[in-house]
Amino acid sequence: MAIIAASSVEKIFRQPKRQSGFGGALRSLFSREHTEVRAVDGISFAIEGGEAAGYLGPNGAGKSTMIKMMTGILVPSSGTVEVLGREPHSNRITNAAEIGVVFGQRSQLWWDLPVRDSFDLNRHIYDIPASRFADNLARLTSMLDMAGYIDRPVRQLSLGQRMRAEIAMALLHDPKILFLDEPTIGLDVVAKDVVRKFLAEVNRERGTTIILTTHDLVDIEEICPRLIMVDDGKLLFDGELRHLRTALGSRRRLKLEFGTDPGAITLKTAQLVTDEGLAKHFLLESQQTSILDVLTELGSGHDLKDVKLEEPNIEEVIRTFYQNKPALAGARP
Amino acid sequence: MRAASYPAFALTAFQSRLVYRNQVWASAFGDLVSIFARIAILTAAFAGAAQVDGITLPEMVTYALLSGPLLYWEYSRVLYDVGDAVRTGDVAVFLLKPLHYPSYLLSTHSGHFAFECVAIVVPVALIVGFTVGLLPPASLFHGLMFFPYWAVSWLILFILACLCGLLAFWLLTAFSLEWFLMAIMSLFSGAIIPLWFLPTPLATLFGYLPFAWISYYPAAVYLGKLDVTATWLHLGIGLFWLTVLSAAVLALWAKARHRLIVQGG
Ligand SMILES: Nc1ncnc2c1ncn2[C@@H]1O[C@H](COP(=O)(O)OP(=O)(O)O)[C@@H](O)[C@H]1O
Ligand SMILES: [Mg+2]
Repeated sequence: MAIIAASSVEKIFRQPKRQSGFGGALRSLFSREHTEVRAVDGISFAIEGGEAAGYLGPNGAGKSTMIKMMTGILVPSSGTVEVLGREPHSNRITNAAEIGVVFGQRSQLWWDLPVRDSFDLNRHIYDIPASRFADNLARLTSMLDMAGYIDRPVRQLSLGQRMRAEIAMALLHDPKILFLDEPTIGLDVVAKDVVRKFLAEVNRERGTTIILTTHDLVDIEEICPRLIMVDDGKLLFDGELRHLRTALGSRRRLKLEFGTDPGAITLKTAQLVTDEGLAKHFLLESQQTSILDVLTELGSGHDLKDVKLEEPNIEEVIRTFYQNKPALAGARP
Repeated sequence: MRAASYPAFALTAFQSRLVYRNQVWASAFGDLVSIFARIAILTAAFAGAAQVDGITLPEMVTYALLSGPLLYWEYSRVLYDVGDAVRTGDVAVFLLKPLHYPSYLLSTHSGHFAFECVAIVVPVALIVGFTVGLLPPASLFHGLMFFPYWAVSWLILFILACLCGLLAFWLLTAFSLEWFLMAIMSLFSGAIIPLWFLPTPLATLFGYLPFAWISYYPAAVYLGKLDVTATWLHLGIGLFWLTVLSAAVLALWAKARHRLIVQGG
């Protein structure tokens, strides 16, 4: 059974239209004009217990808005969100006890207190039995290598240390689902790596369901087998990362190098994209096409020196995908 | 969540203040200076007279020291705590936890208040008591009643600060609200001029507004300016105001929360 189900979720933000200048400010006090932002636009998906799903999209795609709706601090304008069989907002307190949430850009630790004291407050808030708390604290402290700073006040920590503490804090009460909104934002390479490895392990070893938003594809590659891709509030792709290339119909690239320029070449199995004379770049027509098919069609007699096949780079695929999205919208597996 | 988490917040707030020990010295020193300044002004105003309008100088000095937590408690801490959380959207963090935000605020700030009582109010009172001399309470009854009055005084002040802080949700600035609250407080609460020096119609009016419970009544009760019946009656009225103001805070919080979950802050 799905533990998170979103069906045709929409979130429209209405903001009073602001006009510039003092007169404008006065006028907007009385006007009823609004601008509408459709932050989430008809999104449906279901996530099973134990999954790790990455919610990928550029800035303003509606990722945070979706996380807020799943955690119950924002209500959808239409459609429904269910988490653990409940509507999260109307069951806020019950829901809150069973989930853990990390916001990359918002701290939940008490600024002036040592990290340990924030953890201890969480023990009270979530009513964690003392022995379980001690076990979890010991395990998280060693896994996230926090022993060196757990007794230091939060305000003295580096961003990487703080983020590890935030994640530990969200896991102390053994939540069934962990939501993370851009957990790696602003971290350096090493800190990112620690966070990614840890999250993958928590998901694998403890079976905690993980939903994380990011605009960094590497987060998804290392943590989440499942990718949900959004832009402009709309769902673009939902499936396994390794199926993305096929789903997007991205084609492999073939580079043929010749000793002497054979002149123009047209093939049925591959399409010429750039012709540099001695080097010619082709795109293979389909996933089934092999190099052999191309070489067979090309035939002998050309002064062929070298053949190079390139898998499309996934970042590049996604970039072209976003650039061509009007044409590709609806191209789902 | 269990109720035990709320005392834990109070305790944590108390402990967190120990970190900023220098601030304690600064506050205690500032309070001492301002009290001695007020005493000096009062002494000059009495100009050797035994009493003014039936009030003696020692009574006035005692009043100046006891006129409620207003003087010693940094209520602006509440105002900024709420105002900032609301303005930056950090208040959402509290909605992610299984807890009730107003109760969290109450327990946290009672921890701050307890700290300030121990670290600032009692030492300052002792210093003033030993140097200038404090009057004893008018009677055992009045002395005992001072404590519930002081509690009501602090709670009303706390709730007014919360109200102003929550207003930042709509007005987006806690700064001007602090000035507003401070102006109202010094005018209506009797902190600067006790109500008994005011013209009767004004004193009667101010005597029924909730602000009078912040400064005037706790000190007036201690000095025995209210008889037994009036003391009980006014405690009742104070509790009534407390109920009304709490209801207002809860209603405003519900409205703010609604706005937060619909408009996202
Ligand atoms: N409280 C709000 N009021 C008005 N517009 C908002 C609000 N929150 C987000 N938006 C708008 O909704 C869109 C999606 O925002 P968000 O979910 O934060 O994107 P992301 O997290 O993917 O960067 C953006 O255009 C943003 O400006
Ligand atoms: Mg975001």
